[in-house]
Amino acid sequence: MKKTILSLAMVLAAGLLFAQKKTTTSAVISFDATTPIDALPKAENKTVIASLDAKSGTIAFEAAIKSFSFSNPKIQEHFNSKGWMDSDQFATASFKGSITNLKTVKFNKDGTYPVDVTGDLTMHGITRAIDAKGTITVSGKVVVATSEFSVKLEDYKVSGGAIAAGKVAKEPTIKVVAEF
Amino acid sequence: MKPVQRYDNLLLKHWQQKINKILCKETDQSAHSMFKHHIFVLYLTGLACIKQIMMKRYKKWLIALGVVLLAGAAIVYYLFTLKYDDTTTVKADFTVNAMDFIKEFKQDMAAANKKYSEKIVVVNGTVSAIEMADTTANIKMVDTTNGAYIIFAFQQQHLGEAKSIKEGEQVSIKGSCSNGAFSNILEAEYITFKRCAVNK
Repeated sequence: MKKTILSLAMVLAAGLLFAQKKTTTSAVISFDATTPIDALPKAENKTVIASLDAKSGTIAFEAAIKSFSFSNPKIQEHFNSKGWMDSDQFATASFKGSITNLKTVKFNKDGTYPVDVTGDLTMHGITRAIDAKGTITVSGKVVVATSEFSVKLEDYKVSGGAIAAGKVAKEPTIKVVAEF
Repeated sequence: MKPVQRYDNLLLKHWQQKINKILCKETDQSAHSMFKHHIFVLYLTGLACIKQIMMKRYKKWLIALGVVLLAGAAIVYYLFTLKYDDTTTVKADFTVNAMDFIKEFKQDMAAANKKYSEKIVVVNGTVSAIEMADTTANIKMVDTTNGAYIIFAFQQQHLGEAKSIKEGEQVSIKGSCSNGAFSNILEAEYITFKRCAVNK
């Protein structure tokens, strides 16, 4: 009897623990727009806000464009300028979506689970639906969500001579890592 | 046409004809390989002659062109290898108190962004949290009354400093202020910093 109560209590506790929305303010988004002729256009944003609701499977990100840190000051300047991301006007990029195969993810059992995510990505003032593959890794209380996908800059009306000249990739790879 | 120019043209034509002639002959008699060496030497001598004539006439311009090309290459090289300085060596534009800083952003986000964005700012305050992952160690200062916060992402060479900071500690952090925004996820204002270091 005691054991049953104890296990019931544990299940309840676990349920409560994961029922709430998990958030982090230190998710990392990196993007790689390098090409064979230019290895500079890549950057990392280490202060991305992310949330994951284990119950509903909703997942969201918010990234300040100016927080993308480049090694080269000139490239960073270009990236934020009007011709590119225009970060004065469009200060943040965001994603709002959900895990479509949530049932296969066991948040109370350690393991790595492949997930399919679908949702809306907003950047440069344009919102478009995207699908991405990712993984959820559960290790004790820590849940790590990762995903890698690419976006067409053309879709978000980001264009410029550097893309035409082959210095910036037309479809940069975006990598997201969020530890909750 | 100037006489010298005419001479150049004639010389060029002469060499072209000579080479063509030999080439044709060689292919006809399928003894190309035998004379390959001669043709090459002839061609090179011809080129050298033309070059000498050109050099004499256009020396000044050629030197100028060389200088321009070199300068261009130097500028491109400089821009491509440019790197951000270590933040500790950069002079701060502003020194602020964390809670007053948050207040300033809350009161007028646009004005504060205009003032501080991409500027080097020293922030003095109490550490509320340290968020560590594999490659990151972010320091946070939170206004507990409303959830608004400042977050500092450290410069690679200063990551160790961030890891040694403790919660509740009074610190002075220098970094490049990215910008302030309102988070719909957290329903609070936040200000992000990049390339940070402990201010000594």
